[in-house]
Amino acid sequence: MRDAPGPGPDYDGPTYYDRPSLKPAPFNTTVVGGYIFLAGLAGTAQMLAALAHRARPRGFRRVARTGHALSLLAPTLGASLLIYDLHTPQRFANMLRIFRRTSPMSIGTWVLMAFSGSSIATVAGDWLGRVPGLRWLRPVGRAAELPAAVSGAALGTYTAALLSATSTPLWAAAPRALAVRFGASSVASACAALSLAERQADNHRTARDLDTIALAALGVELAASLACRRRWRALGLHAAEDTPAGAVLMHGGADLVGTAVPMTLHAAALAAPPAASRRGSALGSLAILAGSLCLRIGVLETGDATALRPRESLGFAQPKNLPRR
Amino acid sequence: MPVTAEGSVQTVHVHPRARDYPGSFLDGVIPQEAELTCGTRIEPGKSYGFFTDTTLCIGCKACEVACKEWNALPADQIGFTGMSYDNTGGLSANTWRHVAFIEKRGPTGTRQTDQAAFQSGWLMMSDVCKHCHNAPCLEACPTGALFRTEFDTVVVQQDICNGCGYCVPACPFGVVDLNPLDGKAHKCTLCYDRLKGGLEPACAKACPTDSIQFGEVPVLQARAEARVEQLQQLGVAGAHLYGAPEGEGATGGLGHLNAFFLLTERPETYGLPPAPTRPANRVAPGLLAGLATMAGLAVTALALLGGRR
Repeated sequence: MRDAPGPGPDYDGPTYYDRPSLKPAPFNTTVVGGYIFLAGLAGTAQMLAALAHRARPRGFRRVARTGHALSLLAPTLGASLLIYDLHTPQRFANMLRIFRRTSPMSIGTWVLMAFSGSSIATVAGDWLGRVPGLRWLRPVGRAAELPAAVSGAALGTYTAALLSATSTPLWAAAPRALAVRFGASSVASACAALSLAERQADNHRTARDLDTIALAALGVELAASLACRRRWRALGLHAAEDTPAGAVLMHGGADLVGTAVPMTLHAAALAAPPAASRRGSALGSLAILAGSLCLRIGVLETGDATALRPRESLGFAQPKNLPRR
Repeated sequence: MPVTAEGSVQTVHVHPRARDYPGSFLDGVIPQEAELTCGTRIEPGKSYGFFTDTTLCIGCKACEVACKEWNALPADQIGFTGMSYDNTGGLSANTWRHVAFIEKRGPTGTRQTDQAAFQSGWLMMSDVCKHCHNAPCLEACPTGALFRTEFDTVVVQQDICNGCGYCVPACPFGVVDLNPLDGKAHKCTLCYDRLKGGLEPACAKACPTDSIQFGEVPVLQARAEARVEQLQQLGVAGAHLYGAPEGEGATGGLGHLNAFFLLTERPETYGLPPAPTRPANRVAPGLLAGLATMAGLAVTALALLGGRR
């Protein structure tokens, strides 16, 4: 038995013939990870669009329009992925039978509905607001910006609560740190997508602003990542370190490609003159997007691994780990 | 009538209503049959559950068979697991009772060769859905397919479940499972259909040693407390309850388990978590931390975007 790097040794008590004591989530990790990534990207893009519009309505018109367009990823591809992952997909509408505040999946369903409706309104205002006879869509779109931004902020982070509100040890161990990590990663990914669009339009100054926000978000993500890691080690949960998914997706993907590399590239790009920093910034943005996806799939994969390891699940469900009242 | 070791005659308790049905073949279901088989009237609005006393289990697996027969569940796996006498492996979408077999080991980890007469070297325990008071699967279900019945049990409505699978990781005991063939979640219903008809659940009725006892939860809890005391006096120091109110197995906000157990070893030995938690308690911390992060980064973004002129 290996010693835990954190406080206290790993669980070395009895198990039932080393058989799993928990069942892993029957989610397709790529499909659900893809949804979490898209929901984060779309929701936060909508939030940033509203913020940009509020900061400088004229100067950031394109950022707002791109943000509105990106938000459509959630009701289209995102919702499709969710329905695809159901094991009885033809009954997807049963999600709308009830609202249950103890179930983040139920909360998330309604957040996604609210976000989808308001986002479609913002896009309709952008795209159809100039068409004669449809000018009334412009004020409607503008009015929808605030609800879209608020529900977008929730959409970018509720997925962490969805995972934490289970008995899967890795997800349940650090609810707050995981939520901060998912939220910061969502902000970084939306900034990255918006920055890429601005660079494409040769609007380097706005792209730099977005890169700066991304840099701040990556700093928060890094801190949350370290907090998660410390907590997992302290509780004897090692799947994020010693499984292939943990090594490739969490270490290589989320931490190296998704955080360290873009932080370096963005910092270097911000130090260089606006136009000269184009390549580095674009590369950094792509790395953020890839890392953000890796983080979500990696957390799903390594969480399932801890559910299947009786030493980790039984070690986690010890009285000493109960929350203090 | 059975004769006890001291030679005195032990009277067998027979419910007076049993005399109304002397024949082997009946025209129909006996009204409130559970009253005859386990002394329990089944009435909506009361809380029912199982008390599984593992010290009485002989590992016959009659509960597994009775459950499969009544609920028309197919076999899960045919073959040998290669460990103990347990070829069932665990609870699943098609297995709602699972008898665990643990061979006691000596201090060196090897099989005990010296044992007091009439003492078993085996622990046997019939595992089942715990029908938690604050049921994590029910609290996680986004469709309302999982609901609490009028008998205070937790059941999946098969005509509503859309197979999202969220109840599976929600369960702290690894009970709920999806059947990939029909794409729905399945678990023990505490024989909801039988309870509606006044019948004792199939596993409890089939149990030949009364290791599985069905009844009203408060009655069972009192009976279990007395049984622990009795066993302690007989020298079974490890006898304790798993799933009593706020006790081991019902920690972290689960309340109590309607299907609870008498164990003689640490719960981990049977593959049970000693201190499970209620996942719904983590919803607010997760959501608030996430929204606070968003708010913080939004303020940062607004400052950065608005700062340049």
